[in-house]
Order: sequence, then C-alpha cells, then structure tokens
Amino acid sequence: MHVLTVPADLDSLDAVGKYVVEAASQAGLDRKAAYRLRLAVDEIMTNIINYGHTEVGLTGDVIVRAAIEADTLTIILEDRARPFDPRERPEPEDLDRPLEERNIGGLGVYLALKGVDHFNYEYVDQMNRNIFVMYRPLQA
Amino acid sequence: MAFTCTLTLNNEVAHITLAGELDAAVAPQFRAKIEEAAAAKVTRLVLFMSELEYMASAGLRSLAFAKQKMGANVDIYMVGVQETVAETITMTGFHNSVIMVESYDEA
Repeated sequence: MHVLTVPADLDSLDAVGKYVVEAASQAGLDRKAAYRLRLAVDEIMTNIINYGHTEVGLTGDVIVRAAIEADTLTIILEDRARPFDPRERPEPEDLDRPLEERNIGGLGVYLALKGVDHFNYEYVDQMNRNIFVMYRPLQA
Repeated sequence: MAFTCTLTLNNEVAHITLAGELDAAVAPQFRAKIEEAAAAKVTRLVLFMSELEYMASAGLRSLAFAKQKMGANVDIYMVGVQETVAETITMTGFHNSVIMVESYDEA
C-alpha cells in the first residue's frame, strides 16, 4: 500500500483509521481483528499527537506504512517526537474497581498492546517507530 | 461514518444517542453533552449505542467523567452496544460500572 503522511493533529485520526481499515481489508483480516488493529493504531496515534506534540508545542508529521506479507499485516507509525516506548507504561491495575474510584489513565496503551498479535517499538535515527503486527487468516 | 451525538432530557433521565465513530478528535462533543446532562441533575443516563460503530478510549474516559460529574449513584445504561465496542468495554472493566442492555423501555 501507499505511504500515508499526516500532520500530528487529532484531525488526522480519521484518515489514519480509514487507511488501517483499508489495509486490513486488503490483508483479509476478519471484522474483529480489523477492529482491534484500527483501535490499537488509533490509540498510539492519539498519544503521539497529544503527548508527543500538542502538550510540548511540537508540530510535525506522522508517517503511516502498511506491509502485507504472506502471513502478516504490519502497520508502522513513525514520528520525530521525543522517544516514548509504550511498552514501558505500567498496565492499569484497577480495572475491576468502580469507575468513580479509578484512575483513568493508560487505557489506550493497554487496549493497543492487548489488541494486536505483536507490538514492537524501536527508536532509530531520532525516530519513534511503533510497529503493529496481525496474523492473516490462512488463505484458502 | 461521521460522529453524531444528540441529547434529550426527560424529567430526570438523560438520553444520549451516539452514532458513527467516536475517537479522541470528537470525544469533546460527547463530553459537552454529558456536562449538559449533569447540569440538569439527572438521576439516570441512557446511552443509545446501536449505531456507534467505533469507540476509542477517549469515549471510555468520557464515561468515567460522567460518573465522576454526576455522582456514583447515577445509573448509566448502554443500549444495543455493537459486539466490537462491547469487547473494549469489557476488556477495560467498564461493564462492571454500567448496565448493558439489548433494548431499553422506560419503566
């Protein structure tokens, strides 16, 4: 698929969502897997925008890539905000508590990391790379 | 599909109908409706969600905001939630704090 470059702005979430849904469709993911992948990318993209850019007054682009291989669909988000590895964020511990008593943080990263088959992160050439991998169903 | 969010107030019950895709970009619209309902001091919040095709964690945070703004004793009903959206609600434990129903009839 083509490479998508969008500004690190919440208005870009829609375009990224559509791109991921299209990639999932081309890769033949079922509806639930496609939804989980779209959610994962959307949550990490939201964090890149809010914490990597808006909060620190940084403007920049996010590059979205999709690669369909025999067994997998991989989506990669690349940005030049300060390094942040989502895997280092502690899992929420109070998921069973009533809402009014909960500390509502970290849910997006939690959903992202739980929702995909593999998640990877690397920081290369001053660039964050968030890598999402889903297995494709066996082709008939 | 574009996100829409409409509020109606019937006595002490707020109805909010959600449709389309709820991500972080549009969540402030949902939050504004919740604030409007909270200002009317409702005792129950009913969310009609059968047309809501997608919900990110920003939507969940809006719900937590509703509980905190309206008080823990305000019941939140979720009506007709689609399976994929329901999975997110369950994974994050929010199903313990709301009442999920297939259909809603004001009794």
